[in-house]
Amino acid sequence: MKELLNELLMEDKTLIHVPFGNGFFDIYTSVVVTWIIMAVVIVLVLVLTSNLKVHNISRRQAALESAVIWLRGAVGSMLGEEAAAYTDYIVTVLVFIALSNMVGLFGFTPPTMDLNVTLALSIMSIVLVEAAGIITKGTKGWLKSFAQPMAAIAFMNVLELLIRPLSLCMRLFGNILGATVIMELAKSVVPVLFPAALSLYFDLFDGAIQAYVFCFLTSLYIKEAVE
Amino acid sequence: MNLTAIGAAIAAFTGIGAGIGIGLATSKATDAVARQPEADGKIMKLLLLGCALAEATAIYGFVIAIMIILFS
Repeated sequence: MKELLNELLMEDKTLIHVPFGNGFFDIYTSVVVTWIIMAVVIVLVLVLTSNLKVHNISRRQAALESAVIWLRGAVGSMLGEEAAAYTDYIVTVLVFIALSNMVGLFGFTPPTMDLNVTLALSIMSIVLVEAAGIITKGTKGWLKSFAQPMAAIAFMNVLELLIRPLSLCMRLFGNILGATVIMELAKSVVPVLFPAALSLYFDLFDGAIQAYVFCFLTSLYIKEAVE
Repeated sequence: MNLTAIGAAIAAFTGIGAGIGIGLATSKATDAVARQPEADGKIMKLLLLGCALAEATAIYGFVIAIMIILFS
């Protein structure tokens, strides 16, 4: 068990050593996998959005439009009308996290299994939440909102600034790591067929659910901040 | 005797709380859908949120168990 965990967590995560100054500038595997995901998404976007028309649309465009409208509608209903301007960011994060969680299907290590990636995502979320609060209420209103229900629990609200990103980051990281550990254990016990069925649950279903939960919580916080 | 394994096992007890919490939430959600089938979209959303929050405790336990195994 300890060897497995060591292999998953403690191994050298560096993929590319770039000489930089006196030492090396290390690029982690998670960063490279993120680049691959970004490249795939960008190529998909360029291919799908080329040749868009207003009349006589192709089947590709119809499918694209219904997918975009569905995603925007799902996220927009979570955000509510007041925060609708943040829909596109949340949709982008949703697509990115869902693809990162499912990239294990193609034999890559999911980038979300690296604590640095999930930490960065959750810090982006909390900065956006607080910025949304400042933009809507102004700095004074934002500061006042810390003493909202009553002044006595202001320190709890300040503590939440730390707890929210921590729990967002740990939830995503722990889920993906747990799924990978269970998959590795299953592979060592029954190498044939059984891991494939398990991968259907852990890679596809759990990955999608975790991406949804991350975006759902972020939009809930934004909705709460702009109220 | 190796006490680290016992420590990790105790950390895994957080799963009990998460299981009870998710079970309660799901049973109430089923009740609510049975009473008001037209509100199932809203109920589903709240159920997912509740499950995610309840499950987080189990995940914390898991992360702590891993830390105990690795850094002892």
